[in-house]
Amino acid sequence: MTRTDRPALRVDGLTVRYLTKGGPVVAAADVDLRVAPGQCLGLVGESGSGKSTLGLAVQGLLTREEQVATEGVVAIADRELDPGDERGWGQVRGHLVTTVFQDPMASLDPTMTVGRMLTWVTRDKQESLRWLEEVEIREPKVVLRSYPHQLSGGMRQRVMIAMALARRPAVLVADEPTTALDVSVQAQILSLLRREQDRLGCGLLFVTHDLGVARTMCDDVAVMRHGRIVERGPSAQVFDAPQDEYSRRLVASRLTLDTDRARPVGPPEPTVVASMSEGLAQPEPESLTRRWSAGELTWASFAAPEPERRRPPALELVAVTKSFRTGGLLGSREKQVLHGIDLTVEPRQSVALVGESGSGKSTILRIAAGLEQADGGDVVIDDRGGAGVQVVPQDAGASLTPWRTVEQLLLERLGNTPEGTGLTDAERSARIRLALERVALDPDQVLRRKAGQLSGGQRQRVAIARAVVVPPALLLCDEPTSALDVSVACTVLNLLNLLRQQLGLSILFVTHDLAAARVIADRVDVISDGRIVERVDAGDLSDSMTSAYGRRLLDAVLP
Amino acid sequence: MPSSPDATTVPAPTAAAPARRRMLPLPSRPGRRGHEARPVGAVVALTLLGVVVLVALLGPALSPYSSITVSGPPDLAPFSAGHWLGTDHLGFDIATRVVEGARTSLYAACVVTLGSAVFGLALGTLAGMAGGWVDQVLMRLTDLFLAFPATIVAMAVAMGLGPSLSSSMIGIAVIWWPLYARLTRGEVRRVASSPHVEAARLSGTRGLTLVRRHVVPSVLPTVVVTASMDIGGVIAMLAGLAFIGLGSPEPAPELGLMASSGMQYILGSWWIAVIPGIAVGLLSLLFTYTGDALRSLLRGTGA
Repeated sequence: MTRTDRPALRVDGLTVRYLTKGGPVVAAADVDLRVAPGQCLGLVGESGSGKSTLGLAVQGLLTREEQVATEGVVAIADRELDPGDERGWGQVRGHLVTTVFQDPMASLDPTMTVGRMLTWVTRDKQESLRWLEEVEIREPKVVLRSYPHQLSGGMRQRVMIAMALARRPAVLVADEPTTALDVSVQAQILSLLRREQDRLGCGLLFVTHDLGVARTMCDDVAVMRHGRIVERGPSAQVFDAPQDEYSRRLVASRLTLDTDRARPVGPPEPTVVASMSEGLAQPEPESLTRRWSAGELTWASFAAPEPERRRPPALELVAVTKSFRTGGLLGSREKQVLHGIDLTVEPRQSVALVGESGSGKSTILRIAAGLEQADGGDVVIDDRGGAGVQVVPQDAGASLTPWRTVEQLLLERLGNTPEGTGLTDAERSARIRLALERVALDPDQVLRRKAGQLSGGQRQRVAIARAVVVPPALLLCDEPTSALDVSVACTVLNLLNLLRQQLGLSILFVTHDLAAARVIADRVDVISDGRIVERVDAGDLSDSMTSAYGRRLLDAVLP
Repeated sequence: MPSSPDATTVPAPTAAAPARRRMLPLPSRPGRRGHEARPVGAVVALTLLGVVVLVALLGPALSPYSSITVSGPPDLAPFSAGHWLGTDHLGFDIATRVVEGARTSLYAACVVTLGSAVFGLALGTLAGMAGGWVDQVLMRLTDLFLAFPATIVAMAVAMGLGPSLSSSMIGIAVIWWPLYARLTRGEVRRVASSPHVEAARLSGTRGLTLVRRHVVPSVLPTVVVTASMDIGGVIAMLAGLAFIGLGSPEPAPELGLMASSGMQYILGSWWIAVIPGIAVGLLSLLFTYTGDALRSLLRGTGA
């Protein structure tokens, strides 16, 4: 391969329109891009910004889509191609441009061994083995004979990277390659990608919604919004001193370990401000927004008065154990997921349970919610502080019954509580409107809608509204922000904090993200393999975390 | 031997196949062919169905003759003046009798299908929601009914109750409900563990309300589509039972019976047996298309 000064990837005036029933939707508008050999360009933006469409276009994956109209030119290693025309892409796609997708399981053939797939690309067994060694897979010889489902997520992604790079492409497109992985694996995959890309000298187009990842990974970034690139430049410059209004807001929404916990996170959000104004000395939205921007607005100013008497804990788990039976009729075995968990959530306290997938954190939440029974130990819930236990799920969309309206769902919850049964219809209606306003939704807009007609952020807020329309004794949050865009995640965290102050909620917040955990929680409990390994005050996380596992999670939070 | 991790909870194949056909609320993805196409076939099928139902309802009023009295010379060929479809060996007007027969068939088939569907839906929902031994008992009971050859069971029941229209209806209902029970049970089991049902449970909704509001609506479209297709099958089977003499006795205007009694004249006056037979075929076909039409319409609304 000869090195030239010519860009590995050049995109000129690319416009992509999806032709829909309601008229054309512009997913990319007159986009220009350059990626030099050996350069890593990050394409960041929130969902719907057009970054994924752009990622597809440069791989020639829009050519066969009907109802898609494209303009402009994509040039890969000096070959000019029409992103809307299949001609010429055959020799380029999968050769000069290869891809690492978000979900390696979906891109690997489940019926083939890794060796067969890889050798199909390398044409040589030894070469395949060498590539697996190159991507630092443990026991490469075993992996060569394995099927994709026998590998962990991180290993599959390594295989994907090996397959993509074994073609020696001019351009590698990485579309959210670490989003589906555990945080501690993420860092390894990123450094592997970067190292291999440097070694091979290919251009890397890195599509991601995660600003932290983009910052550590990329030389340059382009911020996309509504199909346009609103700002581009060296990563350090864009992230430290964003020029564009939108990129400024995006960067401000990012949570790190230095985010101020005592104040609302992110830039002022009008709908959140509106729901804040209730019960304050200075309720005018303008002054609230001003104080928020100036960093003078603290959560303490929203706190409801403390009750006089001390109450017992809202949730108390003592030596809770749980195992699941896995396997089918033959070879069934018990797998213990919780080994004697002790966990207490005091009234008005917020505890974050942090761990990676498979650590047992979701099982604890399900046991506290009464959705699973513990095998041993005690689960005590004091529900005098409110109406039972409520859950804010990760996938709010799936938790809302698709054929029921928001109004029906909220009325249903209200009618099921002792507090709600005593109310008249008018009072109930007023109550659910208030609940929606509290989560920064316009009641007139959403009451009659069903889950399918709401955006992801709206669904999450409806799920919260349902959980708090009658304040519960204990609010369980199951990764409520992990599926959301950064700015929406900020809003949800702010709303949860606001509700916590206003209603005096007790919260158990399950997450894998320490940065989000420390914003919402008073205390952080780290869980690994069904055991709580560490318990630290959220205030000085970085200093007081001592366990090896805790430090690993801490290091995984990108600066 | 490979064993699937949830081998015990996988619904039986017969239940799984229709479940996969279910109309999920598909996100309307842009850029897919046929998304905007109007379901022409659906409109045609539903219109035809409307016409047939109207004719059946108006039945007696449309014809100057009675279906069980002599209204002309016997063995009159089709397209004769005054008798469009001719007369039979007794001189009864075939057109009048076919309309009357279709009316009876439609009514009987709807009652049988509705009855089986409601009963099967209730039992399947109970089994699916309860799980455990209730599920086991109900499903083994269902299997018991499905284990015997359906037609023979229907014949035996109808015979045992004494040949009549209602006996054959009961006979068919007995073999038909297990299909709905199985279909419903599989679907309910799937929905019952879905996040939205869990969330509804957490919000305090229990028992029948939970089932009615959060579970059944997702099963209903499948059952409705299956039922509308099944009406055709039930019409054919009712005619079959009548053909072998398990329906109403002569001279009732029943399509199967008409075909059966016309058989002895088939060499001389073929139309006496063939015309009712064609009517049965067309009615069955119409309902099959209606089922398809309903499915495509329901998919459009994302129900």
